[in-house]
Amino acid sequence: MRKALGLAGLLLCLVAVTCAWECLRNEQGQINFLTVQNLRNLLTFVGLFGVLSVGQALVIITGGIDLSVGSVVALVGMVTAIGLRNHGLSPLVVLPGSLAMAALIGTWHGLLITKARIQPFVVTLCGLFFYRGITRLITQDTTQGFGTEFPRLRGLGNGYLADLIPVPFIILLILSAVVAAYLHFMAQGRHLFALGANEEAARFSGIRTDRLKILAYVLCSVITAVGGLMMAFKVNSLGPTDFGSFYELYAIAGAVLGGCSLRGGSGNVLGVIIGATLIVVLKNVVNILQIPSQLEYVVIGGAILLGVFADEVFTRRTHGVQ
Amino acid sequence: MKKKWGFGTFLLIVVAALAGCGPAQEATKETLTAQPVATPEPEKTAPSKIRVAFVTNNASDFWTIARRGTEKAQGELGCDVVFRIPSTGTAQEQQQIVEDLITAGVSGIAISPKDPANQTEMLNAAAGKINLITQDSDAPESNRACYIGTNNYDAGRAAGELIKQALPNGGKIMLFVGTLDAQNAQDRKKGIEDTLPGGNIEILGTRTDETDRTKAIANVQDTLVAQPDVACLVGLWSYNGPAILNGVRDSGKLGQVKIVCFDEEEETLQGVKDRHIFGTIVQQPYEFGYQSVKLLSELAASNRSRVPENKQIYIPVKTIVPSNVDEFWADLKKMKGQA
Repeated sequence: MRKALGLAGLLLCLVAVTCAWECLRNEQGQINFLTVQNLRNLLTFVGLFGVLSVGQALVIITGGIDLSVGSVVALVGMVTAIGLRNHGLSPLVVLPGSLAMAALIGTWHGLLITKARIQPFVVTLCGLFFYRGITRLITQDTTQGFGTEFPRLRGLGNGYLADLIPVPFIILLILSAVVAAYLHFMAQGRHLFALGANEEAARFSGIRTDRLKILAYVLCSVITAVGGLMMAFKVNSLGPTDFGSFYELYAIAGAVLGGCSLRGGSGNVLGVIIGATLIVVLKNVVNILQIPSQLEYVVIGGAILLGVFADEVFTRRTHGVQ
Repeated sequence: MKKKWGFGTFLLIVVAALAGCGPAQEATKETLTAQPVATPEPEKTAPSKIRVAFVTNNASDFWTIARRGTEKAQGELGCDVVFRIPSTGTAQEQQQIVEDLITAGVSGIAISPKDPANQTEMLNAAAGKINLITQDSDAPESNRACYIGTNNYDAGRAAGELIKQALPNGGKIMLFVGTLDAQNAQDRKKGIEDTLPGGNIEILGTRTDETDRTKAIANVQDTLVAQPDVACLVGLWSYNGPAILNGVRDSGKLGQVKIVCFDEEEETLQGVKDRHIFGTIVQQPYEFGYQSVKLLSELAASNRSRVPENKQIYIPVKTIVPSNVDEFWADLKKMKGQA
């Protein structure tokens, strides 16, 4: 929790610096960063990328990782677009179908990791290639989209509540509340941390570690699929080779920045949301302050490193570890 | 004990594989050295049929249309066309594909080099063995026989003219593209820049998205926030059109901000039709495919009459605006087999 607070402080600092910079540079002292339009934009992307980070956090807490996120986003988006547009199926069939497909993918990952004892990195790395290939195969490399059809359904990605709060952000809030309740207040959720911290000890104390691990991967894939659906509705024009690529890295960055340790056993949902927000805000700030695009990755990479480093130093100080 | 068995089996498989490979490799070498250019080993039954290959730089709708062009030429000329799409779109993968194609005995290859400057050596090695032409993206430093494609500088100038029409009273414009290190992006940008001076149109800058379409939208929205007085947004790559439309619509500025873009994604054409996009500059990939195969089969017959002095055949771009969008779209659907 303290981590989340520290991170929120970092976020506020960033916002303050941005506003100050803008205020000094603009002649009329106008702060574009805080316009309603910009906040609306920001919350949309926080919703889209935050969901991916929350999913990723679940497997990172077990000490695993899911590198297939970007490809699953692409596959889910394409299957949905093809089902709705090319085959004229009902959304009531296609959306649950896409989520079920993601659940199967997660189960498959979990089984390979627990039963076949292959490392999560390897399993999901293969997934990254495999699902991208399947995506290209089923689309025959042609761009998919929803055109101007399904305006209400597409509201899931590009709609606003009361013309102000983006729907993806609301979905993120609901999803995070559920995940947070599960992780932090239910016994099974607590077991997930125990499993991540020390799998053997968890098993000896009676936790069914394999089942729990599989569940974590299923949840991660399904949550990712929810993110993929929203992304697809938002972007509308989906390229089979590029849609969703590298999103796993943003998801991981958000989770790690939000206080999840890649060693497993630690992390909290609030932190992850703030972590994901920080990355989205950084990208936005680069554009708003008109920093050259070339410097964007430098800013993001530097900021993540700084955040994680500060956190590490802070934790050591408070725990008195050398 | 178990481990030993495993290793033994592995060894056996390796030995068997090596033994199996040996003769085949020799045979390949023989065909490579013994076969003169442009006469691939004919099959015993059929009379010698010219086989040429078309190599793209990645996978996209653009190449689906080009493929239709190669198919038309294939039907007309009775040659065989091998169409290869590198799945990762890297220069290294292209090299592998080209080498495999030469081994397979094609007489000519039309390639869209991903990284022309650094692929010269590979292209020259290929040009020494078969007829090599570049299409879509040129490698002027190499020994390629000819280039067929768009002159992206001219395409940029065409876009510049559209921008001038869109902003008769001048204004600020912003450019959007995937990456600026691609030659076509630089040429298009230069073309636009060279058309505008003297007027009252100011280019604010260029925003890149590294081909991430979500980010392409964010870039547009951020620009509209940071520069509320921007008058025209210009998308240099195909997906930038839909991304700009998406961002402008979301910001509630449809109609207030002019949009000029490239290529013919469905949403772009719909945008032109709805008059939300001022116009789009399109290339003619169908012609790339058709002309490439035609030229390669002529080269296979040692006919170089169509290769111009400067070794560049330019396929002109078209400007699509609301008045001609319906006709163009109908043709396009026919080519993609959607009609």
